[in-house]
Parts: sequence; structure tokens; C-alpha cells
Amino acid sequence: MKALVFERKMAKFAAAAVAGRIAPGRGAQVGPLSLQDIDEPELPGPGWVRVRPRLAGICGSDLATIDGHSSRYFEPIVSFPFVPGHEVVGELDDGRRVALVPILTCVTRDLPLCRWCGAGQPNLCEHTAFGHLEPGLQTGFCESTGGGWSIAFVAHESQLVAVPDDLSDDDAVMIEPTACAINAIEMARPGDTAIIGAGTIGILTLAAARLNRGLTNIVVAAKHPAQVALARKLGADRVVSPGELAATIRSRTHSMVVGDRLTGGCDNVIDCIGSEASLAQALSVVAPRGNVLLVGMPGSSTHLDLTPLWHRQTSLRGAYAYTPAHFQTAINLVRALRLGRLVSATYPLSRYREAIEHAANAGARGAVKIAFDLRSEKGR
Amino acid sequence: MPRPGFVLDVDRSTPPLLFWHGEGFRLERLPAERTRVIYPPEPLDPLPHPDAAIRHALLHPLGDSKPLPELLFTGMKLTIAFDDISLPLPPMQRPDVRQRVIEAVLDLAAEAGVDDVHLIAALALHRRMTEAELRHAVGDRVYDAFAPTGHLYNMDAEDTDNMTFLGTTDQGEEVEIVKRAAESDLLVYVNINLVAMDGGWKSTATGLASYRSLRHHHNVRTLQHSRSLMDRHNSALHTSNWRMGKVLIDAGVKIFQIESTLNTDTFPPPFDFLMKREWEWTAKDRALFVGSSKSLARTPNRLARQIFHSIKAPHSMTSVQAGEVDAVHEETLRNVHRQQLVEVEGQTDVLTMGLPYIGPYNVNSIMNPILVMCLGLGYFFNLYRGKPLVREGGVLIMSHPTPWEFHPVHHPSYIDFFEQVLSETTDPVRIEAEFEKDFAEDEWYRHLYRTSYAYHGVHPFYMWYWGAHALQHLGRVIIVGGDPRSVRRLGFMAASTMTDAFEMASDVVGRTPTITHLHAPPLLLADVK
Amino acid sequence: MKLTIRRPRLAFPYSAAPTPRHVAPLPEKRQTGIDYDTEWARSFPARVVRLAVLETVITPAMKVLASPERRGLDRLKDLADTDTERPAPVIFAANHHSHVDTPLLLSSMPEPWRHRMFVAAAADYFFTSRATSVASALALNAIPIERKRVSRRSADDAAELIGEGWSLLIYPEGGRSPDGWGQPFRGGAAYLALRCNVPVVPVHVEGTSRIMRKGAKRPSRSATRVTFGRPLWADEDEDSRRFAVRIERAVAALADETETDWYAARLRAHRDETPALSGPDAPSAWRRAWALGERGPKRPRPSSRRWPDLG
Repeated sequence: MKALVFERKMAKFAAAAVAGRIAPGRGAQVGPLSLQDIDEPELPGPGWVRVRPRLAGICGSDLATIDGHSSRYFEPIVSFPFVPGHEVVGELDDGRRVALVPILTCVTRDLPLCRWCGAGQPNLCEHTAFGHLEPGLQTGFCESTGGGWSIAFVAHESQLVAVPDDLSDDDAVMIEPTACAINAIEMARPGDTAIIGAGTIGILTLAAARLNRGLTNIVVAAKHPAQVALARKLGADRVVSPGELAATIRSRTHSMVVGDRLTGGCDNVIDCIGSEASLAQALSVVAPRGNVLLVGMPGSSTHLDLTPLWHRQTSLRGAYAYTPAHFQTAINLVRALRLGRLVSATYPLSRYREAIEHAANAGARGAVKIAFDLRSEKGR
Repeated sequence: MPRPGFVLDVDRSTPPLLFWHGEGFRLERLPAERTRVIYPPEPLDPLPHPDAAIRHALLHPLGDSKPLPELLFTGMKLTIAFDDISLPLPPMQRPDVRQRVIEAVLDLAAEAGVDDVHLIAALALHRRMTEAELRHAVGDRVYDAFAPTGHLYNMDAEDTDNMTFLGTTDQGEEVEIVKRAAESDLLVYVNINLVAMDGGWKSTATGLASYRSLRHHHNVRTLQHSRSLMDRHNSALHTSNWRMGKVLIDAGVKIFQIESTLNTDTFPPPFDFLMKREWEWTAKDRALFVGSSKSLARTPNRLARQIFHSIKAPHSMTSVQAGEVDAVHEETLRNVHRQQLVEVEGQTDVLTMGLPYIGPYNVNSIMNPILVMCLGLGYFFNLYRGKPLVREGGVLIMSHPTPWEFHPVHHPSYIDFFEQVLSETTDPVRIEAEFEKDFAEDEWYRHLYRTSYAYHGVHPFYMWYWGAHALQHLGRVIIVGGDPRSVRRLGFMAASTMTDAFEMASDVVGRTPTITHLHAPPLLLADVK
Repeated sequence: MKLTIRRPRLAFPYSAAPTPRHVAPLPEKRQTGIDYDTEWARSFPARVVRLAVLETVITPAMKVLASPERRGLDRLKDLADTDTERPAPVIFAANHHSHVDTPLLLSSMPEPWRHRMFVAAAADYFFTSRATSVASALALNAIPIERKRVSRRSADDAAELIGEGWSLLIYPEGGRSPDGWGQPFRGGAAYLALRCNVPVVPVHVEGTSRIMRKGAKRPSRSATRVTFGRPLWADEDEDSRRFAVRIERAVAALADETETDWYAARLRAHRDETPALSGPDAPSAWRRAWALGERGPKRPRPSSRRWPDLG
């Protein structure tokens, strides 16, 4: 079976880290990701089914992994070699279309429910490294399950959400990232809101913001012209370039300036980039007792001055993944806003290097979501 | 004997003409047979004995006013207000006219034994003047005598305790000016009348006023009906100021107005050739021109700006008059017209102009895109009496590099205006309705205006309103050599060459439009018949 | 003078022959003092040398020694702005504390007068020997005048030079201050101004007495202020005595302005309360010295030794 495989090869990993620093997405050329012919994964037990992906998106966390700058934090909760791909719409043997909820929780691992899985918040599951599966926080990072960037992988029934017929594959592949955005937006408090970044996550967070009526004065910092246009279309109150964000928030919140930071600021700053710079910016424009939400996956190491966090009693909170419940909301949002149009290009597996480079430069190239199209791959 | 201004009809033998282009110049050939160029009159001869003329004016006031010595008495409260850094342009060589006049006034005050004197820079919502700028304006002697004890200062229109409300006009316009000025036994206003817009009741009713008062005439409706700003009797802006003047009189504010006019001797040697007509440039002038424009092209922006802003104009005084505001101002206008008026026959399809490095609001600062708009559409477009130089629906072509650059200290609210307001709309009416209040009442701008050297938060709006009449009148505005990004943000079109600009104008005014080139600076006032 | 006759090394005619003992010598033609002819000092080479000396020696030296602050130059702008080819000549009348005054003032002069100045110098001090005469004439463009009165000779010389477009720097007090306070102004400057119909610019020099007062042996560094006043023209029916009083008052007002501020000085001037340059009318020296206050002599810097040297 054809699949893109990510192996544990330290030399290649280092090469990818260097290449990724030179140009985003370049890690695919030299790194530990390669197109291989491997065996289809075995079904790990009862309740598991085989899924044949139709479309599989390329996520920011995938790119970070490929370019070698994801955190070593993940080392114990992934298992090599793995097949990436967790934004998946696929079909079952019986032809039903499903979207994948990729988190691998206690249920899938055949373990007694941990505290969080029991409380309906499986994204916080404590057992992602245990049970009868190899470690892996999600499908796409776990050796046992395979992943979306292949002809087939296995999934637990609890991981599957039926895709209504009126949604296209393009729409369906956007369900998973949309659920992610919805989870983040639910964590926001009522008040003025800034969204830093207008890549897939930024745009979807903006789209999801309409679900939280408490959010006012939504300002989006977008770098590229296409992102600016899209953010305007999706109802941002203001779209500015990242350099203008602080000044805009200052005048919209009528705050003063001391040194280079605002005395007031936004009640919510949602960082959809996760870089050191974006986090620092988020902390400099958040209001006292405000809320910085980290939706974009942060880089491997971050040096931040936390004094403002302490002094202004702001909270810095991660927003990881979703629960299956979010998938239902996401389906409605995707349908309402026809979010499938955000899929800008699809590639066959064989052109994975191009695909990854395109995804890494999506903003600059006027694209949003890049996905692998597996519908016409041979051997399905 | 200085020659009057004149209108040149361009023919095939006309040399390329000088266009100012920010901190640089362009030479442009304009189409023959359908272009005319308006040249300013040459600088008038200065008054031979300026100090004696000032003294004479103080002792022989115009209108219904007693001579200054009779208005001064021991134990009185005397306030002298003077025009700020925005006048004259470029700043004049020492001694500044204000210094001469203020020293003459103070000498009389000393003779009368006046102890309680305040000197106030009439900023309205302009930025505060620095110590060096104040020293330049009033002279070291006056500065050293009054500043250390806090008797010479920049006014603060946001200091509500020190502003006083004097009433409303019959049109409901509120009048609020500096308390000290209103409550003095005598307010002496020392003005410099560089253009016909300045002076008169605009000195006190605008110069010493607060936002509460200014918004009644610094707004789109008034400025669209000020045709032109430079024509006091056809300007709604001035009519409103005159109404406010009446409120000042009725409130018992006693004003002794001193106005002076300057000649248009704008650039010191060896750069005085910039004031000459191109065919009268000597070999030395041409060599200097080539040398300076070539080296300016290689000079970093910052340095070029520094060089230009160090120019001090050799302006000298052509008249000084004092006394009652109306009588004085009529005489002043006569003197301004004597220097600047040029008769022009009829309008044309296209108006071209070269914008220099300096305008009223970027002395020792950066000419940002909003100020470019204001200088072109607010000031140069309005240098007319009667009808605009360009017909309604015509095209304005101006040359300026228009860099996306702002002085962070002087123009903080301009940056936000450019980024946040102009990105939404360039329509003055919408801008006024949707954004003005927010900026005018912003605490941060207020803080910077009061304690730093920043223009008030609402000031960029006024810049935009200043061009409101032109925006309404013109069919298209093209900036030659402008940074396309910032020109587009202004709502105009950027052309890389003059030829391109005429091409772009052709779909508005056709292939063979008539053209007028305003050959300024030095300044002129076109009397369009 | 010793009366030893030295035998010349070279015999006559290679050296001068001695006057025979019993023959009365010819009266020596005086070449110094009031009779010293300084005309050569206005020749082109001399002017070049003077310009070089002023710009490369005197001005830098004054900058170090006196760090002068020049004030009131704007008052001269109208005088300088004449369309004539040469600047109109002017008489600069200054108060006098110290030998430093002249180099300080010369180095403080503005264009267009800076290199067309001549100085009225006491014949009995600067022109006593050939060497001092040459030096004064060359470096300062000094001409000899008498302190006590304006002799016909020196007045004619000065008037002629003014007529040729040279500007005069003169100290109407007639000499350096003996005690830090001024002395009454004599009429020379006023007389010349009336005679040549030129304006007088009052100048006040402050601080030079701290650098090197009369009687001091070596100069010490101190800051100075040179204030130029508004040019004065003699009124139509004013004689030189009254004009001299007005000049003195103008300099006194400048002193007041330097001491306090311009407006306070104007207020006092109009009330006729400008403090006189000549100081308090006290007979006792100590009270005059006391009244000098901070303007008094510079105190020697405290010794760097920890303990006073008791010998």
C-alpha cells in the first residue's frame, strides 16, 4: 500500500530542521518523510474498521513536524514510523463517508476511562501513551493506526462521524480543523477579541467566532492580501497587517501606551500562529485579566518575558483539539459557510514534496488549505 | 523694481519647467500650445527700517483702537499670543518677525511698567513647539526673560481648567479660548500673514481655541463651502471665525491685533535660483541645479530631509499694521495681494503642481501622505480667488514622492488615521461621521498632545477636510512619482512619469486637455476671471 | 642705562659709526607711542596674516579660555543687511575689564565686520616699544590713541579709517577696570560717531575679569558672555557728551540684561533704575568689592592636598 511515512532518522531529522529554516516546507526534500510501499495496518481489535481516505489535509502541525521544528514534548506520545494525516474524510468498506475524530483516547485504547474521557473531554485524555496501541496522541502520529496520507488506515468506531450527503469531500475535510476552531472559540470570554494570523486556523477561528455572541470588535491580523480579503468576507470588524495590530487595538480600546505595550487591550487574543513573535505580540495587546488563547501549535522553544502575564493577571491558555461533540457543530458551520471553498489545491501522494511546499507557503501563494487527494490513487 | 507675476503660454521653445518633488526636483516638459504656466510675482522690496515700522504701527493703530502705549498701564494683565511653528514657511532667518514685534510690544509694556505678562504660543490643536523653536520665534532675550518663570508657554487646548467658554454665535457655534487670553486686560496677538488664509479673527478664534470650538468650522460642510480658503470674503471658514470674533468682543475680550506680511523671498542664496524663471537661470544656477538634484537622488531620505529642513528663508517684512482686528486685516490682505496676486484668465482641464518638502504641519518633521494630500488639495488647490484654476470635474496632477512615512512623535494619530480610517473610506463625509469623535476624544492622543510634541488626535481629520472642496471639485487626482501603495490608500492614482499622468488623465479630460501649471513655491494667489 | 660702549664687531662702514663724544646727537625721531604709524598693518599681506592669526590662534584660544556665549547678534542683522558692497562701518563700544577683552571681542565679531576691524589701543601701553607696536598693529590692527583725551592726531586717524570702511572697537572707559566695577565713559566713541555719522553698537563683556583681571599674572579659564546691543544713532541735536552718556546707559542695560533677564532690564531701564556700571557709590573699597558678589575675582581652586600645607 502506498503511504507517506515519517521515520525516526536523526540525521534526516537534523537535515530537515536546517532545510525548514532556509525555506518553509523544504524539510520534505531531505527529511525523514518519504513515499513508501508498506503493509496495511492490522485491525487492532474489535470495534476497529478500515478507512480509505478520500481527502487528507495538510495541517500546520504536520508542517512543523516535517520541517523539524516541532517540540520534543511529543517524543513520548508519538510512535515511529508513522503515517501522518489527521484531517481526513474517508469511506468505509460499506461506502459510508466519514470524517475522522483523530484523537486516540481511552476508548480506542481499550482502557478504563480516565478522568477526562469520563467527563466528556477526551482531548485531554491522560492515556495517549498507554494501552494496546503504540503511543500516539492522534491518528496520524501513531504507528498502530496509520494515517490519512495513505491508501488506508484503521480507526475505532468512536472516532468516526458520518458526513451528511450534502457536504462535498472538500467541505468534509474542513470539519476537523473547524472543530478545532470551535473548541478555541468556546474558551474565549465575552469582550473585544483579536485573532493573530489568518491561515487555516485563523480564518476558521474567525468563522467560528460568530458562534460566540459575546465576542465583540473582532480584529484580525493578516499578512497576505488573499487572507485579508477572506477575513473581511468572513465578517471581521477590522483586518490589519500584523505591524498595525497594536495601534489598531490601542485606538479601538482607547488605551494608553507605556513603553511599547498597551495599558489596556483586548479581552481575548487568539494566537493562531504559535510563534514566539506572535505570542509576544499577543501578550503585549491583551487587556489586564485578559485571555490569551494559544490555538496554533507553538514551536519547540519559546523565550517569553512573563512579567506582563504576572503583573496584569492575564491568562495564557492552550486550546487543543476538540471533542466529538464539536464535530456536529463544525458540520453545521461548514455547511452554513461553505467552508469547502477554503481547500485551495489538492495533490496526489506522489507529488507530496510540492504539496508540502505549497502548504508551507499557502498564505503567500494565496491559498488556505492544501490536501492530498486519494480518491484516484491506484490500489484503493 | 520687482516684476509682477505673469502667465506664460508654453510653446515649443519653452524649456522644461521646474517641479518641486518633495526633497528634490523634476524638470518636466509640458505640452505646447495648450499649457500655461503661472509664475509668482518677484519678492517685494522689504521695509527699509522694520523696527521703526513696527513702532510706528504700534503708535498709529488702524480702526477703532487707541495707540498701544495708551492701552498699557501698571498693574495690568497683559497677554501676548503669537503664531506657532506653522508660520512662516520655510521658517525665516533670525530675527523672526514675531521676535521684532514682541520686543517692540514688550518695550512699550516695560515703559508702562507692566509686570504681569504671559506669552502664549497659539497652537490650537497643533503640536507644542520645542524650546529651540520657541527661541527661534521669539528670540533668546524674550525666551530667557519669560520661559524660566513659566510666563512663556505653549497653550494647551485640552487643559479644561485653563480654557474658558465665552458664549455661542447666532448660529450656535460655541466659542472657547485660552482663559488667560480671555481674562487679560489686553490680548495682543502677533501674527505672520504668509497667505491670505491667515490672520484676522482666525488668529484668536482659531489659534487660541479648543476642539469644542474648532469643530464648528473645521468640518466638511464648512470647508466644502470655503471657496476658496484663501478668499476671506468667500470662505465659510472665515465667516464662522468672524462670527466667533463678535462673541469675543461681546464677551469683553480686548484685542490689539498686530499683523505683518512677508515678501516671497523664500530660498537663500545660492538656492535663490529656485525662485527664478527657468530661462533666467545663469550657468552657475544650472550647474547648481544639476549638481544638487543629482546628489539629492543619491542622498538617503533622512539626510536630504535634514538638509532641506535646515533652510531658513530670507523672508523680510513688507508691511506691519496694528490695532482693531477688521481694519488691520483688510490692510494686511491688501499687502498680501500686493505680493501674491496674479491675474489668470479662465479655468483649464488639468492643473499641475510640484509639491515641496515642507507644509505648515511638517516643519522639522516628515511630510507624510496625509500632509501631501493636504498641501496639494488643501493649500495649493485653494490658492485662488474667484474660480478654481481647474474646471469642475478636471484633473489635478501633483508631483511628490509620497513615501509611506510618518513622524512617530509629531504625527501619531496620522498613522492610525492612515491605517485605520483611510483603509475603510476616503470620503470626508463618512470619515467625519464615523471616525472623528473617536480620535478627538482618545485619551492617548490627548496625552501626547499635552505632554509630548504631537498634533492632536483630530488633526489628521482636519487635514482631510482641508481637501474636501478639492475632492468634491476634481474628477481625478494623480500623483507623479508617488509611492503607489500610499497614493492608492489616499484614493488617488500614482503615475511614474508626467507622460503617464497625462495618459491617465485622458479618460477624464480627453486627449488634448488645456493645462495650467502652478509654478510655486514661491507662493502666489491666482485671481481667476 | 649702562654707558658701556661696545666696540662694534664690524668696522665702519659695515656698522654705524659712533657719534663723537663732544658732539650732541640728533634728537631721536620717535617711532613709537602716539606717533607710531600703523598704515602698513592695513596692507594686504598684513591683513592675510591677521586673518590667519585670528582664525587659527585667537579664536580657538578664546574658545578654550573663555568659552564665550555670544548674544544679541540678531540686533545687528538690519545693519548687516545693506545692499552696498562693503558693510557700513560701525563703532563697537565695550566695557573693559581685562586684556582678554580685545581678543575675545575680535573673535566674537560677526560678519561682515569680523575682518574689517581696528582697535583703539592706549598709546602709553601697547605702543611703548617697537616690538609691542608691531605686534599690536599686526595681530589686533590696533592704532594708538591717548587715554585721557582725544588728540587731534588719533582722532583724525580713526576718522579716516572709519571713512575707509573700517569698523572701530573702542573702550570708552579709557582703561581696564581697577576693581571689577566700570569707570565713567569718555566721549571718544560718541565724538567719532558724530563726526563720521556711523552708529555705535554697545557691547557688554561679562566674565573676563575672572579670567585675568587687572594686575593678574596669568589667565585662568572661565566662561564669558558677550552681549551686543541695539545700534545707537546720535539724535539730531545731541552732542558727544550726552551721546556718551546714552552709550554708557546702553552698556549698563546690557549688563543688567546679562545679570537678570531682558524684560526685567527693560522695566528698570524705563524706570531709570538700571544699576550703574560703576558700581555702588561707596567710598570704601571693601564695600565695592563686597557688592561685586559672584562677579568678583575667581577664587583659587582648593588645593588637592588633604591637609593644608603649613610650611
